[in-house]
Amino acid sequence: MKNRIMKIRKYIGALLAVATLGTEPAAAKDFWHTAIDYEVNAGTNIGGASPLPLPAEIRHIDSYSPDLNLQIGARVRKWLSNDLRWGVAVGLRFETKGMRTDATVKNYGMEIIDNGKKLSGRWTGKVHTKYHSQQLVFPITATYRLNDKVVFNLGPYLAYAFTNDFEGNVHNGYLREGSPTGDKVSFEDDSKATYDFGENLRKFHWGLQGGVSWMAYKRLVVNANLEWGCNSIFESSFKTVSFNLYPIYLNVGFGYVFN
Amino acid sequence: MKKISTAIKTVFALCIALISVSSCIQDEPLNAECDIVAVILPDGLLNRQPRIDNDKITLIVKKDVSVIALAPEFELTPGATIEPPSGTVRNFLFPQKYVVTSQDGQWSKEYTVTVQRSNTFSLDYGFENVRQKDALGGICSYDVFYEVGTAGNETLTWASANPAFALTLQGSTPSTFPTYQVEDGVVGKCVALTTRSTGSFGNRAGKPMAAGNLFIGDFDMENAMNNPLQSTHFGAPFENEPAYMSGYYKYVPGETYCEPDADGKLVPVPGKTDMFNLYAVLFEVKDGAEWLDGTNVLAEDNQQIISTATLPDRHSSSEWVEFNVPFVLRPGKSIDKEKLSQGKYSLAIVFSSSEDGDFFCGAIGSTLWVDEVSISCVDE
Repeated sequence: MKNRIMKIRKYIGALLAVATLGTEPAAAKDFWHTAIDYEVNAGTNIGGASPLPLPAEIRHIDSYSPDLNLQIGARVRKWLSNDLRWGVAVGLRFETKGMRTDATVKNYGMEIIDNGKKLSGRWTGKVHTKYHSQQLVFPITATYRLNDKVVFNLGPYLAYAFTNDFEGNVHNGYLREGSPTGDKVSFEDDSKATYDFGENLRKFHWGLQGGVSWMAYKRLVVNANLEWGCNSIFESSFKTVSFNLYPIYLNVGFGYVFN
Repeated sequence: MKKISTAIKTVFALCIALISVSSCIQDEPLNAECDIVAVILPDGLLNRQPRIDNDKITLIVKKDVSVIALAPEFELTPGATIEPPSGTVRNFLFPQKYVVTSQDGQWSKEYTVTVQRSNTFSLDYGFENVRQKDALGGICSYDVFYEVGTAGNETLTWASANPAFALTLQGSTPSTFPTYQVEDGVVGKCVALTTRSTGSFGNRAGKPMAAGNLFIGDFDMENAMNNPLQSTHFGAPFENEPAYMSGYYKYVPGETYCEPDADGKLVPVPGKTDMFNLYAVLFEVKDGAEWLDGTNVLAEDNQQIISTATLPDRHSSSEWVEFNVPFVLRPGKSIDKEKLSQGKYSLAIVFSSSEDGDFFCGAIGSTLWVDEVSISCVDE
């Protein structure tokens, strides 16, 4: 068991060293072997991609499901002060971010692009949206130990989305073609228009994460972190969705700490 | 321990506060739409219910109604205003314009209100006159056919599903739409109708093709996606007794006849060839049933139908085929002269490049050309 942990530790150490520094200076050997701990963790993401604030066009959120968003990762933490109060942690985790929402909107700008042409208009009615993204997230956080049990962390993260889906449909409502004065086309009952904006989602994100870890039992730690995206999930050139959607997720999970 | 739980509570409270502050539903914005949703005239003036389009209104009044001083009242999108105000007395010998402004004050729309007496229907159709209507902010335009009388006045505007085809984003110039004008008619120009693919938008909406169609009546754009069969409102008031329908057609069916499967995707049907349709129907107007539509225009059991003119031998031909077919009374039906003169009958003339196109069955590319159609009537 000990051997295996050592192996994992070496592996994580190497992975993170490569990820952060590229090369490890000779003098860093001691640095990486004192006042240092590791953690492997798993959890779930609860949240969504939300406009901030909700635009007035959104009249009601009819339903919301965060989906099951799993997260698995590892981090290494180096205590910098002699009293082991302040430190820095770097991590690497795989996670999914997703949500499904049903909303009622009024006079909501939308576009459908096909055959090199664009149908734009204002939608009043129901909008169903499904967002799902698989990401590698790389947080660098400052940590503060409050006491033996509780450690806070706060810092930026970078994320790379290697799969991205954003799709849905509009139904039970009507489109005004072009502007609120344009031709009215209603979509009732089974009639709906689908959209797929997956191609327009951003691949690289950054944001802030902050939270708390609580040492629940010997090496078992319970984590709660808020991950607050600073980029809209869409590329900035994408104007169809007229407002920015920021990924905001609360990660809740547990980890195994060793050194 | 107390410290810990306080810390955790603080973080959670902060998260929840941030999320909830950012997710407040704002006050409802004022209405941006500026529609006339209903027109009210005193009882007994109208021969048909008002026809309200996005920027024009057609009021068909009874023959003996004076149109010099009418004061229509309008029901608008909530909060919108109209100028001149609802109830203003105006002379409707000529079309009159009204401007409706939205509740938020940012949008306005001009309506043209036309009052027609119902005895002004032309009987000869040469398909010489079209105007191009821009759609989708001018990225495409399609033909709208109309007929002019001897005085040069517009006597009839033909309807088609071209406005709905524009939404599929497959059209650009008028001749890329399902219904369009071409040269080389029997005399002058003629109308061509082609069954088109509706592209990925149409496929996703379960409406994978659009047959070319042209008909007397109105196309109900608002219901085109919901219920295409009911979006073709066939018929306009007709006060003569029709006897024969004559004209010329050419027809070249598309190569592969297809039907939509359960998912709305087109699948070929081997051995089947597409066929056009071309017919006229005289029918009685009833309250709440002022028009026929794709669900009932050819129904054998439709009690409103008085007589029909259909082609007994429709066939493919790359040369013009002349036809002259009688209006045949339905069993037990006759024309009531009293009702006829009161404008209680309507006539529909319908052309389609795929006879089952309203069920999205047919062959992409099937083309029907029609020219010099004429309705002859029984002499008084």
